[in-house]
Amino acid sequence: MLIKAINVCKTYKNGLEALKNIDLEIDSGEFVFLTGASGAGKSTLIRLLFREELATTGQVLISGRNIARLSQRETVRLRRNTGVVFQDFRLMERNTVFDNVAFALKAVERSWEEIKVRVPQVLEKVGLGGRENENVMHLSGGEQQRVAVARAIINHPLILFADEPTGDLDPNTSEELMKLFEQINKDGTTLLIATHDKEIVNRMRRRVLTLHGGKLVGDIVGGWQL
Amino acid sequence: MRLYSFRYIIPQAFKSLKLNGWMTFASILTISITLFLCAICWLLVINIDSNAQQMESDVRVSAYIDQTISSEDYPALQEQIEAIDGVDNVEFVSKDQGISDLEKRFGGIDLKETLGGNNPLPDRFSISATNKDVVSSVAKAVKKLDGVDTVRYGEGSVEKLFALTDTFRKVGITLIILLGIAAVTLVAMTIRLTVFARRKEIMVMKWVGATNAFIRWPFLLEGVILGVIGAFIAVVLVLICYKYAGVYVANTISFVYLLELSTIWLKVLGFAVLAGLIMGAFGSIISLLKCLDV
Ligand SMILES: Nc1ncnc2c1ncn2[C@@H]1O[C@H](COP(=O)(O)OP(=O)(O)OP(=O)(O)O)[C@@H](O)[C@H]1O
Ligand SMILES: [Mg+2]
Repeated sequence: MLIKAINVCKTYKNGLEALKNIDLEIDSGEFVFLTGASGAGKSTLIRLLFREELATTGQVLISGRNIARLSQRETVRLRRNTGVVFQDFRLMERNTVFDNVAFALKAVERSWEEIKVRVPQVLEKVGLGGRENENVMHLSGGEQQRVAVARAIINHPLILFADEPTGDLDPNTSEELMKLFEQINKDGTTLLIATHDKEIVNRMRRRVLTLHGGKLVGDIVGGWQL
Repeated sequence: MRLYSFRYIIPQAFKSLKLNGWMTFASILTISITLFLCAICWLLVINIDSNAQQMESDVRVSAYIDQTISSEDYPALQEQIEAIDGVDNVEFVSKDQGISDLEKRFGGIDLKETLGGNNPLPDRFSISATNKDVVSSVAKAVKKLDGVDTVRYGEGSVEKLFALTDTFRKVGITLIILLGIAAVTLVAMTIRLTVFARRKEIMVMKWVGATNAFIRWPFLLEGVILGVIGAFIAVVLVLICYKYAGVYVANTISFVYLLELSTIWLKVLGFAVLAGLIMGAFGSIISLLKCLDV
């Protein structure tokens, strides 16, 4: 099992129970949606899965390893194999599109020659070909989101977590983005996508996890049920 | 860490320096002041030391001749002195020669003119001892001779100089410690500001899998650059000051001599750069330990 959560609870410092007894398994190569109303705990779950936060009780296992117990070196390796698209993008405002994406390669110490080739390629993939030198703050919300996606996938991660990647996109563009995700998935990346866009979830006919008030209330393969 | 990663790390450090404008300036300034004072103290100490050593090695006993005896008796007196144990050689210094020596030592003023044409100096013998430990016994023996009025040698003056260098050393060390702490603190604050300004980038670097070393290097480098720039400024100022001090001293008090600039500049530079580097690195390490853990 690639991703496994065992009886995971998360209580924030202010006493709020954001997740309650989550049990969950995601196999390698799956394409999974995570849905639920605002405040249901989607972002919290994703944050636990990529170890931005640690579970209050319970365990998160990635490839069988408890991620709370990884050494520093192993943590670095895990992160290099995990791509994350943050709900708030987390782009560097002062920099260009190119620099924002190249940053992910620089940080893992790839050569400049490689960066020069790969950044335009991935930008082409997310539909931002030729926009390298624009400042990210001059882009629309949807374009910024695609920069964030480009940055998350440029290292060919084994797992990609995306928190509301279509939140700011018009239907056409989110359609494009979903196609891109399917492509990435075909290339072997396991995806977990948090969204409350029912349209997309319904159309894609994939496995859907549903959170409600911090509890996992639904795990259905093949779409959305109302 | 790969070596070529410095290609990404070095520009980051310089970007941070620019980003922090005033703090960068303040840190460099404190480091410069610290190292400037350090270097000045050190230069004072080594110069006074070397002067004192020089004086110690050529302490001569001056035996002033009783003015009532006539110059015909001088050779006999000189022989008596030469016969004393521990005397190396004896030189006669007439009062005219004595006054012109003095004039030279004080930078060429016309002493006779100032004193209204009178020369109050007596004739004297200048006596050197075979070694510095017997100087005082020689002086005592000479004083007992008939025809010798007073005897003078550098009693205590060498000790005073050594005491002075000791004071300078202590003051210098205290100053260096206090200012060093201030400098390191300022560097640490500057780095902390950088870390704060770039916290988002640091987060992203972490989440894409940058190693701790890769994340920390730019900040370490920033501290080191602050230190080294501060050191260079200090060295330039110190050497300029030293050069002018040298010229001034040579023109006014010729019996004090300063070590040649060419023999010390490399030491000053090496010391300052090393100290600046250590202070800068230390400052950033303090900051990093506190706020940059994965
Ligand atoms: N850092 C935090 N400290 C305290 N409470 C938090 C924190 N982050 C989230 N919460 C709370 O935890 C609950 C779940 O939040 P979460 O962000 O996971 O929801 P979500 O499903 O992602 O919502 P949305 O669809 O609006 O993004 C919410 O009630 C939220 O207020
Ligand atoms: Mg959310």
